[in-house]
Amino acid sequence: MATYYDIPVGAQHISLLEPLHFKLTTENEKIVDVEANVGYVHRGIEKACTTKFKFRQVSFVIGRICGLCSISHTTAYSQVAEKLLNLEIPLRAKYLRILALELDRIHSHMLCLSHVAENSGFEALFMRTMKDREISMELLEALCGNRVQYDYSIVGGVARDLRPEVAQMILTQLKELRSKVDDLIDIFQSNWSLSLKNKGIGAISREDAMRLNAVGPLARAAGVPVDVRNDTEDLLPWKQVGFEIVLENGGDVHARNMVRLKEILVSMKIIENVIQGLPEGPVVAETKALPEGEAVVRLEAPRGELFHYAKGNKTQFLERLKVKAPTFSNIPAFVEMFKGNEYASAPAIIASYDPCLSCTAR
Amino acid sequence: MRRIDLPLDKVVEEIGKFYQFDKHHFIVMNAVDLGDSIELQWFFADYAAPGEVTMFAARSDASQLIPSITSVVPSAWVAEAELVDLMGINIENAKKGFVLEEDFEGAPLRKK
Amino acid sequence: MKAFLIAIGNLFKRPATIQYPFAPTYKPDDYRGLIQHNPELCIWCRRCEMACPPGAIVFSQAMDGTQTYHYNRAVCIYCGECVRNCPKPGAIIQTATPASPALKDENINNSWAETVKQALESRAAYMAEKKKQAAAKQQGGENPA
Repeated sequence: MATYYDIPVGAQHISLLEPLHFKLTTENEKIVDVEANVGYVHRGIEKACTTKFKFRQVSFVIGRICGLCSISHTTAYSQVAEKLLNLEIPLRAKYLRILALELDRIHSHMLCLSHVAENSGFEALFMRTMKDREISMELLEALCGNRVQYDYSIVGGVARDLRPEVAQMILTQLKELRSKVDDLIDIFQSNWSLSLKNKGIGAISREDAMRLNAVGPLARAAGVPVDVRNDTEDLLPWKQVGFEIVLENGGDVHARNMVRLKEILVSMKIIENVIQGLPEGPVVAETKALPEGEAVVRLEAPRGELFHYAKGNKTQFLERLKVKAPTFSNIPAFVEMFKGNEYASAPAIIASYDPCLSCTAR
Repeated sequence: MRRIDLPLDKVVEEIGKFYQFDKHHFIVMNAVDLGDSIELQWFFADYAAPGEVTMFAARSDASQLIPSITSVVPSAWVAEAELVDLMGINIENAKKGFVLEEDFEGAPLRKK
Repeated sequence: MKAFLIAIGNLFKRPATIQYPFAPTYKPDDYRGLIQHNPELCIWCRRCEMACPPGAIVFSQAMDGTQTYHYNRAVCIYCGECVRNCPKPGAIIQTATPASPALKDENINNSWAETVKQALESRAAYMAEKKKQAAAKQQGGENPA
């Protein structure tokens, strides 16, 4: 008869950045069952957004859900509020939103890659990726005026215009970053010791990813073509700025690394196209209307599909705001992914999945 | 957004007819407190028709037992467990204490 | 082997990190810093107070109707929403100066709660006084007629 041991990982654990808890049931070294608990940081932001803050202030509150994808949250909320107001925003504001979103994607993906390297036991690569990530952080600071909380999207447009010298700075620094990312791709692809911890580990099949409704790099690494940037054209002109979907086969940690690295390259291309083709015009559209009706918005955050539902009742306060974070959709797939792997691989799998618990629990 | 209104007891059947795992993508389940009743919403996206979101909506009372769609969409258990905690509704087989504490009393997102 | 050579080479290179307290970190010229109020230009419409998401601005009112601006840098999130909502350009601006850290002696949270409470009370008192005066005036106007 087999003996099973329950090993808790979290809520505070050396390989976890976020407060989440897993109960791994193991048979010898193999993980056979997983139970996840994610509700350690519930802050009641959805409730606060409908009771304490006016609908224009909510776009700042909602950015505080998460430090890494704060631009995704503010942009998604601004879009859903504009739908409720029936407001069409200027094209320049749309382009600037794409610019900020893609810069954010670069820094978020690089953070995730560095943690995969760290949790696979490759500290030097962690340091190196973090150092290169600093470039994208600086560019965001130059664009938005702050290092972490960007507050860039507001209801009706964006908060500040792109200055020509900042545009120039972004173009020159991205060139520098591109050669560094090329080096990183080389290391992640061909380093032998990293491949032992990444290739074939934490794999999920295409069918399972579809059945469990996985989103983001996790699904794209398994070959599921789910990317909201591919789907929606009405809110942000993704196709115009040269978006291409990145797909990999295999669905293991290595495939997810590759998806992220290639998406960084796609993001860089998009940013260059945005800056070169930036239309002239105002960056914000004014209106005195009040939100009415209900609307949904999907947006591709760095970790996957972000979904906002809002309902207005013609007052300053919203009736209901629902935020579905990408990590939230991935929990079922994630629990599945652990099974059959060795316990020692668990940290690398957790990091490759890029969990964002402050988004999930809100 | 396409909206389909359904009676509560038809929800599982209709979603079962509609949902095919390789064609549709389950986004999330949501609930809105309308004061006298609760509106439940299930959102689906389509892989083949970009940008289209289908919403199934049903009305329910606060104390009613709501059928779970996990028999049709296995990954819906996360969304259901969250709503049980935050809205204080009763969903079949959904576990309590996923987002809040297990012994937490009350429902934060209800208006009362 | 290649990695080993790179590692040896790195021993003789300058550090990759910024020597922070001795060398400044990057800061853009339009950094989102402290909010500055200009009482000479202000038209006292209190729109900044209404727009401010965290409530870092509050106006108190003396009995003669003059208003005073109060601002808490520890509550402020530096979003610039007050500047965008201001109808008079230059009355409230965002500088590039970062906020200094809050010290224990300042008692910044509790004293701010007290300030907000007093400001709202002073405004309520002013409004009540004004209402009383208006009522007296109206009565005074009605009586002779």
